[in-house]
Amino acid sequence: MSVLHRKLGRELRASGLLLLAVVSIIAVGVACFVSMGAAYYNLNEAKRSYYRQCRMADFWMDLKKVPLTELDGLARLPGIAAIRPRIQFYATVDLENRTKPLNGLVLSLPDRREPVINDVVIRRGGYFSDRRRNEVIVSDAFAAHHHLAPGQWIHLVLNNRRQELFIVGTAISSEFVYLMPPGGLAPDRENYGVFYLKNSYAEEVFDFDGAANQVVGRLAPEVRDDPRELFRRAEDLLAPYGVFLTTALADQASNNFLTQEIAGLRVFAVFMPAIFLAVAALVLNVLLGRLAEQQRTVMGTLKALGYSDRRVFWHFLELALAVGATGAVLGCGLGHWIGGWMTATYRAFYELPDLTNRLYWGVMLSAGAISIGCAVLGSLRGSRAVLRLQPAEAMRPKPPKRGGAVFLERVGWFWRRLSSDWRLVLRGVIRNRVRTLAGAFAAAMGSALLVSGFMMVDASQYMLDFQFKWIIKSDVDLALKDEQNDDALFEAARLPGVDRAEPTLNVACTFSHGPYRKKGAVTGIAPGATLTVPREVDARPIPIPPVGVVMTRKMAELLHVRPGDSVLVEPVKGLREPRRVCVRHVADSFMGLSVYADVGYLSRLIGEEYAVNGIQLATDRDPARLDALYRELKAMPALEAVSDRRAMVESLEKIFLEQMGIFTGALVVFAGVVFFGSILNASLINLAERQGEVATLRVLGYGPWRVGSLLLRESMIVTLVGTVLGMPIGYGLSVLSSWAYDTELFRFPVVSTPGTWIWTVALAVLFGLSAHLFVQRAIHRMNWLEALQAKE
Amino acid sequence: MAASIDRKPLLRLENVGKTFRMGEVAVEALRQVSLEVFAGEMLVMVGPSGSGKTTILNILGGLDTATEGRVWYGDRDMSRFTPSELTAYRRDAIGFVFQFYNLVPNLSARENVMVATEISDDPMDVDEALRLVGLDERLDHFPSQLSGGEQQRVAIARALAKNPGLLLCDEPTGALDFATGKRVLRLLVDLKRHLGKTVVLITHNGAIAPVADRVVRLRSGQIVEVHANPEPVPPEEIVW
Repeated sequence: MSVLHRKLGRELRASGLLLLAVVSIIAVGVACFVSMGAAYYNLNEAKRSYYRQCRMADFWMDLKKVPLTELDGLARLPGIAAIRPRIQFYATVDLENRTKPLNGLVLSLPDRREPVINDVVIRRGGYFSDRRRNEVIVSDAFAAHHHLAPGQWIHLVLNNRRQELFIVGTAISSEFVYLMPPGGLAPDRENYGVFYLKNSYAEEVFDFDGAANQVVGRLAPEVRDDPRELFRRAEDLLAPYGVFLTTALADQASNNFLTQEIAGLRVFAVFMPAIFLAVAALVLNVLLGRLAEQQRTVMGTLKALGYSDRRVFWHFLELALAVGATGAVLGCGLGHWIGGWMTATYRAFYELPDLTNRLYWGVMLSAGAISIGCAVLGSLRGSRAVLRLQPAEAMRPKPPKRGGAVFLERVGWFWRRLSSDWRLVLRGVIRNRVRTLAGAFAAAMGSALLVSGFMMVDASQYMLDFQFKWIIKSDVDLALKDEQNDDALFEAARLPGVDRAEPTLNVACTFSHGPYRKKGAVTGIAPGATLTVPREVDARPIPIPPVGVVMTRKMAELLHVRPGDSVLVEPVKGLREPRRVCVRHVADSFMGLSVYADVGYLSRLIGEEYAVNGIQLATDRDPARLDALYRELKAMPALEAVSDRRAMVESLEKIFLEQMGIFTGALVVFAGVVFFGSILNASLINLAERQGEVATLRVLGYGPWRVGSLLLRESMIVTLVGTVLGMPIGYGLSVLSSWAYDTELFRFPVVSTPGTWIWTVALAVLFGLSAHLFVQRAIHRMNWLEALQAKE
Repeated sequence: MAASIDRKPLLRLENVGKTFRMGEVAVEALRQVSLEVFAGEMLVMVGPSGSGKTTILNILGGLDTATEGRVWYGDRDMSRFTPSELTAYRRDAIGFVFQFYNLVPNLSARENVMVATEISDDPMDVDEALRLVGLDERLDHFPSQLSGGEQQRVAIARALAKNPGLLLCDEPTGALDFATGKRVLRLLVDLKRHLGKTVVLITHNGAIAPVADRVVRLRSGQIVEVHANPEPVPPEEIVW
């Protein structure tokens, strides 16, 4: 090993704490890159292989009822590669050990195993056999939750009749990677499952002989990017059979959630590490600039001995490379571990059979290259400045910095009031521009991280509250199989445990406004309804007008509609004539594309005097009365689905709290690394450069705590200024996230609470004080007598 | 007995001037200096602080460049040397001894000498160089564990280990006590006498001048006197 390498090794050890601070920042940045990169690739690969395995559909077309013979025309449309008709209905699930009726989606599969679009992967048991017609394959997560296994019997209410079904197997499907119940936001394995029936049995039990009410299909590659025209032609072709909705793969709920998550990872995998590595480069810049100054004489001596500029530069650069490489190695290890944890967390939400954490050497090598690149960038300024000097000049002490007053001194009335301590502090901050700017930048990045993270938590909480506590306030929602009159409402109101019952009418329709069309639904609610309350952005309730509709902002944006405009509404059931309807108000919502109207007005739109196909209930919290209610509901064949909204919201909040707790914890740690690392670095360098000054103060009688307070005030000024500057950056990041997560399914609001700002400042101060403890220790241990004798 | 001195100059300064910029101030350190250094001699340059002696030494050693005039190494014009040529000159032709030793603090005595031998084409054995300066017992000690005199001897060993023809010494006794200083002077004189090195030494201490073969006196950036010592005095007889 050459002597210069031995020198390097000893320098690394001697600067341990300083370098550890920088290495930590680099390691966290690399860890973010590697973990998110790994999670991105893990999810993407798992999704791709799963979709391939199950022959995932490119579109879903929901219809009232179409004879199979009428689908040939659809199959022959140019751009349609393949289709599979199937029967789908919602059903209630009657488990003997559960009082509450659960919900299910029933889908038909071919009687005999064959490769089909949206195929299933059998997890336990097997496919249908010839032994029974009433066999069922249950979604694996639901079966596991309720300890259902092949060989058991289960009861479903199908087409108003309670049917007994024999479980032959459990399965998963790429169609339901993220299986949300209708109106839900997260998978609900307890209350919602998918049940696959033999096609022949489904036809029989739903009176759908030779017919289907859903077509799934695959598109030719050339139309996949923009199939709208093809869908329009398909809908025109099948219009006589009541096309409700055509959903492209991009809009399918499960795929949408998964794709958004993957896309989000990709974005975060870039900007999060960028923050850390930018800070690391700056901090390293300051540190190595200081080391270069400290080693001026050594570098001059090496040049005097005959070392070339390149060799001396390389020796100096090796320090930066060592820091960058160490940070990269630690970060890759940490990143791989975090990636594994993230992947395990994703497995709890996304049912992807092949989701495992793999090593991505490409990602790690990229991370290493970027980290070393940042380290090298950070070292260039310091080393080049000294290398440019002749050896003799390098060995001479640096000329004193320019003296003179700082700008604050021109504000005489202010400056005169300051003690000499404060003057020392402020001059120190203002004169060391590079160090101050680097420290402020680091603090700004730490602050931006905290603010954007806290705002994300605030936004998520607000979104949940807005949607599930302010707009929809029911405890239990009932979906009726068919439209009923108000007798159903009165009957529901008389059920045990029911405090209040309100009617709803959901009508699928197509909205048109000029060239803009969108399929959606109108929800009719009663005037003065309290269980569904559309709201403004500030949560003020919007009264439902007797005529016209209230449209959510996202739907209005898609249709280019403003309040007062009229849209053409074409219901897919009842009187299916297009009707011009006035948009009276635009409401805010963070989920879905809801449109509201008066239930009576909507009933008349579809040619009914008064129709209801849903009932919202506010219920008692007494468990005994709730059990009684559920027992009654189980026995009601007219119900298509029963949603326990209260339980769903509680479950969502629990999941949310858990996830946000972990997220916030990680965020605070990462931000802490940035704050702590940069403050410690700057303060220790400050102390090293001012040893003579510190020693002089000690001789004058300053105690170590008073000396420490000078350095603390300098670092706190820089930290607090940076923290405040970082707040709008964090707010901006939050706005960007909100734009990124602006889809038809859900939108993230931009929300901040006073706690966001208070906590950010408090944590910045806490990290600053923690870093200062090490500095104070160094001051206590300093041999200031020796410092007085040190040669300049 | 003095070793033979070649009458053809090894180094020659021709009307050399040097101006420094120190912050906002310009300082003319040398004005119209012409000087010859002959191979095999011991040349001592004496002058008060600010007289330009360090500047001359740095220019002779390729550590700095002249702002005016020419510097010749043999028949090569150093003023026209590229940075690589200057580096090669520093590496191969000269050994520099600094007033404050300029040892690398986290390298041992042996390692400080190895810093020089690792880049040299024809180095001396490291331990031999340290033995020559009388430090065979302290090879693995770090500078903070050595006295000033010992550190200076390590610096001399480092300069020597490259086997240069020319040793340039910047106030080698300036930071040392009287006894130690004389020992270092004796070492330099022995190197000149027994190894045939050319030694150029600068000092503000006029009492050292008698050990030289020639003495150059400087004041205010100019040479005011050059005279020869036909009978150089042994370092042991010098008092300051």
